[in-house]
Amino acid sequence: MQITKAAATHLTPEIILLIGGTLVMCASVLTRKPHREDIYAQRNNFAVASLVCLLVAMAARYWTGVPQVGSADLGLFRFDASALAAERLSFLGGLILILMSWSTAPKGRLAEYYGCLLIILAAIPIVGASNDLVSMFLGLELVSFPTYILLGIVRTDNAGAEASLKYFLLSAFASCFFLLGLSYLYGFCGSTNLTVIQGAFGEGKRLMALGLLLAICGLSFRITAVPFHFYAPDVFEGTSVTMAGVMSYLPKVAGFVALIRLLGTGTLSQGASGVVIPVLLGCAALTMCVGNILAVAQNNLRRMMAYSSVAHTGYLLLALVALIRQDASPGVIYSYLAAYAAMTLGLFACLGEIEAAGGKSHLIGDLSGMFQRRPAASIGLTVALISLIGLPFTAGFWAKFMVFVGTVADRQTDSVSMLMGALMAINAVIAASYYWRILSTVYSKSESNVPLRVFRPSLFFAYTICTVLTILWFFVPSAM
Amino acid sequence: MNILIPLLILVPLASALVIFFSGPRAKAMVPFGIFAAALTLLLSVGLCFQVYQVPSTPSDASMSAQATIQPKVTFISETLRFVLPVSVAGQPIDWQLSFGADGISALMVLLTGIIGFFTIWLASSQIRVKTEAYIGLLLVAISMLMGVFLSMDLLSFYIFFEAVLIPLILLIHGWGDGKNPQAASKRFLLFTLAGSIPMVVGLISLAMAPLTNGQPSTVALSELSALAAQAASSGVPIGSRDTWAVWLLLLGFGIKLAILPLHTWLPMTYAAAHPNTTSLIASVVAKLGLYGLLRIVIPLTPVALSIEGQMVVGTLGAIVIVYGALVALSKENMREVLAFSSLSHVGFITLGLMSMTREGLGGAALQMFNHGLITAAMFWILSMLEQRHGPISLRSEDQGMAAQYPKLAVLLVFFTLAGAGLPGLNGFVGEFLTLSGMMRVCTTLVAIAVLGTVLGAWYGLRIVQRLLFGGNGTRLDKQSRPLAGVDLSVREWVPLVAVGFLCLYIGLFPMRTMKLFQADTDRLATLSEPVSKQIHRDMDTLIVESPTP
Repeated sequence: MQITKAAATHLTPEIILLIGGTLVMCASVLTRKPHREDIYAQRNNFAVASLVCLLVAMAARYWTGVPQVGSADLGLFRFDASALAAERLSFLGGLILILMSWSTAPKGRLAEYYGCLLIILAAIPIVGASNDLVSMFLGLELVSFPTYILLGIVRTDNAGAEASLKYFLLSAFASCFFLLGLSYLYGFCGSTNLTVIQGAFGEGKRLMALGLLLAICGLSFRITAVPFHFYAPDVFEGTSVTMAGVMSYLPKVAGFVALIRLLGTGTLSQGASGVVIPVLLGCAALTMCVGNILAVAQNNLRRMMAYSSVAHTGYLLLALVALIRQDASPGVIYSYLAAYAAMTLGLFACLGEIEAAGGKSHLIGDLSGMFQRRPAASIGLTVALISLIGLPFTAGFWAKFMVFVGTVADRQTDSVSMLMGALMAINAVIAASYYWRILSTVYSKSESNVPLRVFRPSLFFAYTICTVLTILWFFVPSAM
Repeated sequence: MNILIPLLILVPLASALVIFFSGPRAKAMVPFGIFAAALTLLLSVGLCFQVYQVPSTPSDASMSAQATIQPKVTFISETLRFVLPVSVAGQPIDWQLSFGADGISALMVLLTGIIGFFTIWLASSQIRVKTEAYIGLLLVAISMLMGVFLSMDLLSFYIFFEAVLIPLILLIHGWGDGKNPQAASKRFLLFTLAGSIPMVVGLISLAMAPLTNGQPSTVALSELSALAAQAASSGVPIGSRDTWAVWLLLLGFGIKLAILPLHTWLPMTYAAAHPNTTSLIASVVAKLGLYGLLRIVIPLTPVALSIEGQMVVGTLGAIVIVYGALVALSKENMREVLAFSSLSHVGFITLGLMSMTREGLGGAALQMFNHGLITAAMFWILSMLEQRHGPISLRSEDQGMAAQYPKLAVLLVFFTLAGAGLPGLNGFVGEFLTLSGMMRVCTTLVAIAVLGTVLGAWYGLRIVQRLLFGGNGTRLDKQSRPLAGVDLSVREWVPLVAVGFLCLYIGLFPMRTMKLFQADTDRLATLSEPVSKQIHRDMDTLIVESPTP
């Protein structure tokens, strides 16, 4: 078990990000000097440094080129379309998140903040490229550990402490589940290599299925699937806007990429899929219903978005089931996640503009009359919400549509697949009701508390990128 | 390749964008909006002429000969090809969008053009706040409606069907002047989505139907209708998937056309929105559900429809005729009276469609056009009255407006009679045909529905009596001085008279209008009529002969 030279070449962008992240974190030693108090210069320096890191990593991917299928390394890593898609998702989210962080990152802990963010961004492609239980677990923990730190430093009040402690304990707990599952798989197959393990699915017995289920439980925590979703609203509420964006997106990408890697596409045997698919379907149904119904009841915007993130996990799980059943390309999930990044991060960026200007965006009522005070951010918010509802001319339309296609197209189990499609449709309607509530508050004519006249170029760019992508991807869905 | 089709969708949309981004010159944009709507009307008339002139013989290969949907003019571009990053059963999804028009589409496009133009024309004097934004949104709505009527595939149909919602909710939310337009717009949004999102599951299921024969999935209506015709003639039994699909589609279109238990959004929306907005919603948007039944449900799932939904929806249609008329009789608020009367009249069209016979389908298509004209005219008159009097209530009798507004009185009587189905006017032709179509399938339903025409005349005359007659027309203000009423200006009566002439023309020469689309509805009937007859053998069918092709 060693990293070959070819694998190292293909992992260049991730290695660059890891080194960059470590260097940025080390820079904290330099910036702690008492006479260096120019916080604005520091803020710009760190953001530019992280952005440069990310751009260099992207350039490195461009330089190493897309790996050939033949040269795909099947030891610890495997470089295929999935790995590249995970990397794309990570870089896309990273770009928007760094822009968002520019004016919302905690002033005293800039070095740690950006360092952790860069390491998370490096970890997701590692999960995506992993072809071994060890490398997958390594990648997942590389996502988790910086997240604990980030949650701890962005807010230092009681709510922040609660959020970070809750996430830390539950996440550690979930990792234990995951490891237990992996140990069963290893014990059954005698290897940690995923190619070997998926080959052994064919002779799979109950033990194998148990291992898979335990691993799925561990990953369900990362993607906030019910019943592992309880931390989400508290964590979203007890952290900064940008961090809420991070929490809604990056762990979800990591979790789904790991699920796709673990379960494979179309490689599950009859015996294993007979156990896994009903569990996943039940989990999907429960996740979207619980997420949407609880979201309707919220007045707190952050908690609402947390439950909305839970609901989207439910839709994605349906797509995952379609994937397992049909030997379909995992494109549905990656496209959905890309659209989700554009709409959710765009929404949080618009809220970030209010927070950065000294306003509040915790309750829905805080946004009342926002359109008169901040038309640009309101339009960004509108596009994001229309996309979340899933109306046409936004990427969210295709995202939902493709999940519907994947779910309905399966012709073997007619009634179940049509039922799941109809259930998701009902959920989408429930979701429309609470997104519409935000939208109608933004355009209401009441007295507004939204602050005026503070322009943050970085946030403006962040939500402009999201808005443009959301609309553009509707017309070119194959680019999603 | 027909250039009018993309223009019909893009001209209103582009002009709306110009209006939205006009910035400080916004006030000057009102005439521009009217001009854009006039251009759209001209384009739609042009399209109608083109469709009218194309001979209605099946044009080419054997595959399309069976298709019940055969567009006469088409617009298919390679750039409108959607490759989704998802594959089904190993086949990538690669769907070609196509636009086109047959007689039915052309008729609805013409309706949208006429109503759209006059609504915007009237809006310029009736809407006081942000007139240019209002007109811009109306233009967006018109563009999306054109898209629905001109689409010849499931995907673009669905995209435009959903997209119509966005301008409409904004119009209701932003310019509604009734009680609580915010709640009404929310209910409108949720009800419509509750229908249309489950509908997409049905539509995808239809698009996947060719997979059973090993063919790639497709969304083209003509191909799918040919497949459905083949399946119907070979007598393939329907599966649970078809049952699901037809019910989901019926739910989606049923909510849009406000079928009985799903109708509560309609009166609330009509009462809350400005009557100018309502005229477009009631006359064109409410037709989307009916158009969907005619364009998608009947041609693509004829067998499943006749087994599952034909009698259920038909019965609901007959009930809604009577129910709507009775509620209209009991309401005082004029907006609600018109809302329920519109509900009642749509019931006739539903009945005609669900008969699945030649007369029924033809009559329904014609009545869709007629009802659009009449309802729009009634809401225009209402908005003119409200401009002069504030909210109109029928509670106070003998308002004697005929003495005050003679021109308006004549037009109101004319349109009331057209709606009540006076022979010689257009309402009569459509309702007669839909009822005679249903007569061949189930006389009981016709017996119920006929009550609606009596009740329709009743509430129509009640409006006329309470608003126009009795009293001497002098209305007093607070100081007991007589108020001066201003009769219709040229700007106001031109649209009404124009639409009135159209009503009269269709009433006198219905066959000339029907020639536009009769070939299409007849082709559909050759598919649907035998299917329906096969399922409902025990129905009290009066005519046994097969229809002439």
